[in-house]
Amino acid sequence: MRFGNMLKKELSQLLTKQAIISMFVTCGLLMMLGKTMGSTIEGIATNNDINVLCLDSSQFASDMLDKLSDYGTNVKRIDVQGFSSDTAAQTLHEKDLKVLVVIPADFSEKAESGKQADVEVYTLMSGTGLASMVDDSLASDCVSSIESYLRDNAESNIVGLTEDQSKLIRKPMLMAEFTSANGRTAKAPASELSGILMSVNMIAPMAVFFLLFMASQMIMTAISTEKIDKTLETLLSSPVSRITVLTAKMTAAVIVALLNSLTMMVGFAFYISGMTGGGTMTVNMPTGTDEVDLSGAVDVFKAMSELGISLSAGKLALVGLELFITLAIGLSVALILGAFASDAQSTQTLIMPLMFATMIPFMITMFMDVNSMPFIAKAILYIIPFTHAYTAIGNLAFGHTGVFIGGLVYQILFLAVTMFFAVRIFTTDLLFTMKLPGMSKTQAKSQN
Amino acid sequence: MILEVKGLTKSYKKGINAVDGISFDINEGEIFALIGPNGAGKTTTIRMIATLITPTAGEAFVNGHSIVKSPSKVREAITYLPDEAGAYKTMKGIDYLRFMAGLFSSDKAEIDKYVERAVNMCGLGNRLEEKINSYSRGMIRKLLLSRAVMNRPKLAILDEATSGLDVINALDIRKTIKRLSKEEGMSFLLSSHNMLEIEYVSDRVGIMANGHLLEVGSIGDLKEKHGAANLEEVFEKVVSV
Ligand SMILES: Nc1ncnc2c1ncn2[C@@H]1O[C@H](COP(=O)(O)OP(=O)(O)OP(=O)(O)O)[C@@H](O)[C@H]1O
Ligand SMILES: [Mg+2]
Repeated sequence: MRFGNMLKKELSQLLTKQAIISMFVTCGLLMMLGKTMGSTIEGIATNNDINVLCLDSSQFASDMLDKLSDYGTNVKRIDVQGFSSDTAAQTLHEKDLKVLVVIPADFSEKAESGKQADVEVYTLMSGTGLASMVDDSLASDCVSSIESYLRDNAESNIVGLTEDQSKLIRKPMLMAEFTSANGRTAKAPASELSGILMSVNMIAPMAVFFLLFMASQMIMTAISTEKIDKTLETLLSSPVSRITVLTAKMTAAVIVALLNSLTMMVGFAFYISGMTGGGTMTVNMPTGTDEVDLSGAVDVFKAMSELGISLSAGKLALVGLELFITLAIGLSVALILGAFASDAQSTQTLIMPLMFATMIPFMITMFMDVNSMPFIAKAILYIIPFTHAYTAIGNLAFGHTGVFIGGLVYQILFLAVTMFFAVRIFTTDLLFTMKLPGMSKTQAKSQN
Repeated sequence: MILEVKGLTKSYKKGINAVDGISFDINEGEIFALIGPNGAGKTTTIRMIATLITPTAGEAFVNGHSIVKSPSKVREAITYLPDEAGAYKTMKGIDYLRFMAGLFSSDKAEIDKYVERAVNMCGLGNRLEEKINSYSRGMIRKLLLSRAVMNRPKLAILDEATSGLDVINALDIRKTIKRLSKEEGMSFLLSSHNMLEIEYVSDRVGIMANGHLLEVGSIGDLKEKHGAANLEEVFEKVVSV
């Protein structure tokens, strides 16, 4: 009852008209941002060479590759001894390739004898972040260039068309797509895998970020406003325990932050579809959908578990725990900072470090894979406890289990320390006697 | 005895005692006032009794409960109106009263009774339906004062109770305090810089300076002891020693 009373008051103070309006404005902004970013990323992606491994030593194949530039594809020939789909993962890794188009040894034989030829596309998924996001527009462009070449070639050779021949012209070639990850290779289109991974791997950190950002900002305002408006003493001398006051404030902050995040995520769904929409979707079916050989269709989820990039129930539970601890760290740090505030200005000053600590790692992990960064950068990022929340899914999916567990342990220790200080501040005189100038000492302690 | 203070001491910085081993009592139904120059330690004493800060040494008991060992029991027995207190600006006056009443009781009927009393006492009328950020300083003070007595606490602690109020309103508050103590047996711990007010309203006073309690007694006794015509003269004589 008392808790309910407190909670109602906290919610009514947080859910002001301005707060609700700003939720929707941010949501709309994100949608627009996604659209613009989508078009820039598409623009960047097109001016690169495509790596091709040609196992077919015939003149036909070599002529074809030379002619592909007429079709808008710049080929870069790669040489690999004894290539097979079993060793594809190592090959991609050793040669530092993201995408490789393979022309099999029997390509020209099939093409010249009027059969459907095959092409294989191998894609390496190395981690998370937009930078390591799979870009197979190059490969799909290359495949359709080969197709066009074959079609033109067939048309110039054939006068009267049989039914088989006309079918061949419409579909001169089959593409087989492979994806490598964690040193393994599975037959599945990388675009689909990365699409699924992207949605889990970016939407989840995005949700965490919003939640963390909003909740900690709100809890801090909730504490500092009570101090600034001189309502805290009255409240804490009434028969409601300090712990009740704190839990009500934190619960309200989390509820409102969840609401906020939810509307944000709606915006973000548009953001992502605006950004990746056109590009990846068409890749799956490079030619007309009517004649696709469905025997090659794969269960994407089966491939994900083959590659070890799907999350088991156990791993998901770990991610849940990780996110909970992250939120708890955010809230306890915000509590400590809020207790230092004595006016609106100091609140603003105090909130900055927390905002940066949540935002910077989020931005970085969104675009880059932390694990492939230089040691110093990696260390700095991982010292910020919030980074571990953003990299959690990626680390578990791409086999960096040690990094994940280490991060979890570090976060638990970090939480223990911040909780210790938060509780100490709120159950002692410190809440009333601390002020900003004295900040350096206590804060330095709480950050380690 | 509703309040028993024994050697209460508080030091914010090592070596300097803002309150230095003070002792006094308040009987049931009594109005007790702490007076003293700025920085004497009145607010610090009051905050310790209101369980907001913990004493460095000494003890105090409210209605028999230790402020150190069972602060939650103490908070059941008191209300505290801080000097310079505010109210939640985004709330309507009436909602503020209801919110605060809800902290002291879980019973709907009781909450309604508390709110009704406060509404009658604060004299804000229709303005209670407006948001507090449209209130003047005096209006907020009246709202907070009515809040502090609406649930008839055993001990109401009012730090500079009538600060910011005009003469008429201040007089009204003094009468209310006196009536609540005489008719309803409520006890008060006040602090004030207004000697006229203290002389009118209090049964006994304690004079503080530099963290020490220099004198405790009824106003009549103190005037006699120091050969003074009024409380102001007593204050001057005691403090300037
Ligand atoms: N949070 C604090 N930190 C450090 N010192 C403090 C703090 N609060 C009060 N003091 C010091 O304690 C002493 C007593 O202050 P207190 O506020 O109790 O005086 P007061 O009698 O209420 O004065 P006033 O009449 O001006 O309200 C003063 O010297 C003051 O500077
Ligand atoms: Mg004072």
